[in-house]
Amino acid sequence: MNPLLSVQNLTKTFAAPQGPLGGKEQRFRAVDNISFDLAAGETLGLVGESGCGKSTTGRLILRLLDADSGAVFFHGEDLVPMGKKALRPRRRQMQMIFQDPFSSLNPRCKIGDIVAEPLLIHGLATPATARGLVTELLATVGLNSDILDRYPHEFSGGQRQRIGIARALAVKPELIIADEPVSALDLSIQAQVINLLDDIQQQFGLTYLFISHDLSVVEHLCTRVAVMYLGRIVEIAPALELYRAPFHPYTEALLQAVPRPIPGRQHKRILLQGEIPSPLAPPSGCHFHPRCLYARPMCRELSPALSEHDPGRFAACHFAGEFSRNRA
Amino acid sequence: MTSPLLTVSSLKTYFFTPRGLIKAIGGIDFSIAAGRTLALVGESGCGKSMTALSILRLVPEPGRIVDGKIVFSGEDLLRLPTTEMRRIRGNQIGMIFQEPMTSLNPVFTVKRQIGEVLELHRGLHGPEQEEEAAALLHQVGIPDPRNRLASYPHQLSGGMRQRVMIAMALAGHPQLLIADEPTTALDVTIQAQILELLSELRRSRGMAMLLISHDLGVVAETADAVAIMYAGLIMEAADVEILFNDPRHPYTRGLLACIPRLGEARQRLVPIPGQVTDSRENSDGCPFAPRCNEVMEQCRHHLPPLREVAPQHQVRCWKAL
Repeated sequence: MNPLLSVQNLTKTFAAPQGPLGGKEQRFRAVDNISFDLAAGETLGLVGESGCGKSTTGRLILRLLDADSGAVFFHGEDLVPMGKKALRPRRRQMQMIFQDPFSSLNPRCKIGDIVAEPLLIHGLATPATARGLVTELLATVGLNSDILDRYPHEFSGGQRQRIGIARALAVKPELIIADEPVSALDLSIQAQVINLLDDIQQQFGLTYLFISHDLSVVEHLCTRVAVMYLGRIVEIAPALELYRAPFHPYTEALLQAVPRPIPGRQHKRILLQGEIPSPLAPPSGCHFHPRCLYARPMCRELSPALSEHDPGRFAACHFAGEFSRNRA
Repeated sequence: MTSPLLTVSSLKTYFFTPRGLIKAIGGIDFSIAAGRTLALVGESGCGKSMTALSILRLVPEPGRIVDGKIVFSGEDLLRLPTTEMRRIRGNQIGMIFQEPMTSLNPVFTVKRQIGEVLELHRGLHGPEQEEEAAALLHQVGIPDPRNRLASYPHQLSGGMRQRVMIAMALAGHPQLLIADEPTTALDVTIQAQILELLSELRRSRGMAMLLISHDLGVVAETADAVAIMYAGLIMEAADVEILFNDPRHPYTRGLLACIPRLGEARQRLVPIPGQVTDSRENSDGCPFAPRCNEVMEQCRHHLPPLREVAPQHQVRCWKAL
């Protein structure tokens, strides 16, 4: 079966911010030659620490940013070379949910207009029919129609995120890219929104690319997970297997770093040394080698390719097989 | 038993806004013994950060501490003259905040900022001061401390800035460290390093800590005791093991049930319904009543007291006995 979305060798470089005196422009690779597929109906988690390129990847797929090279096949068509006009109908099929529900809704617009806007832009409703559709959408995300004439500032973070979700659903998309959609929410509200994302996926058969730094939330929602480090995918695997026995040392360290809500559990923790290196001067060979517990001389020289070690389980580590066998 | 290092009793901090009175802290009691860590846990607006600011007497306008006692090392901080308070702040009570970038001065070097604390609180000058500043940076795990002293905050990563903040907080040899979401802005691998550093420092210096956090994982791994706050009140307080293993308040139980946990079979989360109540809405009942799944008629009209239900375990709920 063809995947709904296929990302191939996607690369994006940015110019580093320069000091007041200018100087030679330095560029760094925010997204460095990454590839993955997304099947219809599945949820792929894209995880990693800040600056790893996960949000940039989401924006490249939606063409909110233009890639330097590579391809993004959606329904078999490459979106990267497409012009604005050709993109428009495809954009309807892909929607985004943002992290910050306080900056993603126009404060001067009424809720009814915010949710109706995509319907009108894409010609899915007339101003006369929009109100009914909007009421329906709001009900889907658990909001009353009596909020139609109110403004964003009157709502809490959780309610705003529901409004953002209703707006994304308005155009009946197939793919939703959710960038940290619950990170800004309070604990008790987070669970409400996670359940809502689950419900609408069932109801509308949605496919999700779920970008998050929260490994517990990703485990809860995702069928497969891709782990990024300094612009590259270092591991991609079915969620259950990746969480049970990671193949990449970075994935292992990430999982161990998550504090667990179990007191007294002094669990063995491999504390990752050092910090994420600057993307302006990434380490040679495997980007992770200076922090890796298992690094050997060749890791400094040779960059490992993302290769399949078990069916469906890809890792970019010279010793992935050995590493996982030794632990088992 | 010796008396606790810090005892807060009947503390009330109100905000007198043009739009009405906000009871940010509606009367709370707790204590921390020397060397122990108490975590204040709750969602945004529950009053946990305002509790920290009240202890330091740094409540911003139009807020005011209207009632209560804050006894630290036998002295009521609320009765001290401002000059005395300034001596205690940063000296006997250190503090670190969530966003190190906003609490460090961007135009001064690390050396100047740590030096200021060392001069103010320990009277150190010149080479002696520089020696001690470098020693502090070394203690908080900053590599190459001598050269780092010349750095400006923007030249440091988030993790390094937080380490500098911790070094500054330690400069006065505090007996109590107030840490308000110290790792929330950090990546998970850096968070693990900072938490490790904090518990190591506490062990070696016998320092007590008031940890403010919304992350139940961080709390479980760091705290000795926990107080759960909601709408400016403590709903439940207990030793960390008791609180996580035998929660009695419906809000505590709700919080523990609604978080996805690593390595647990996937099942639907059980959220707490509704929204956090606005503390402006004055009612005589329990503030959690509108969201509580075990609510009774009396909960809507009468605020339950914080009662001891077992040794070292207090709960504010009519149902918990």
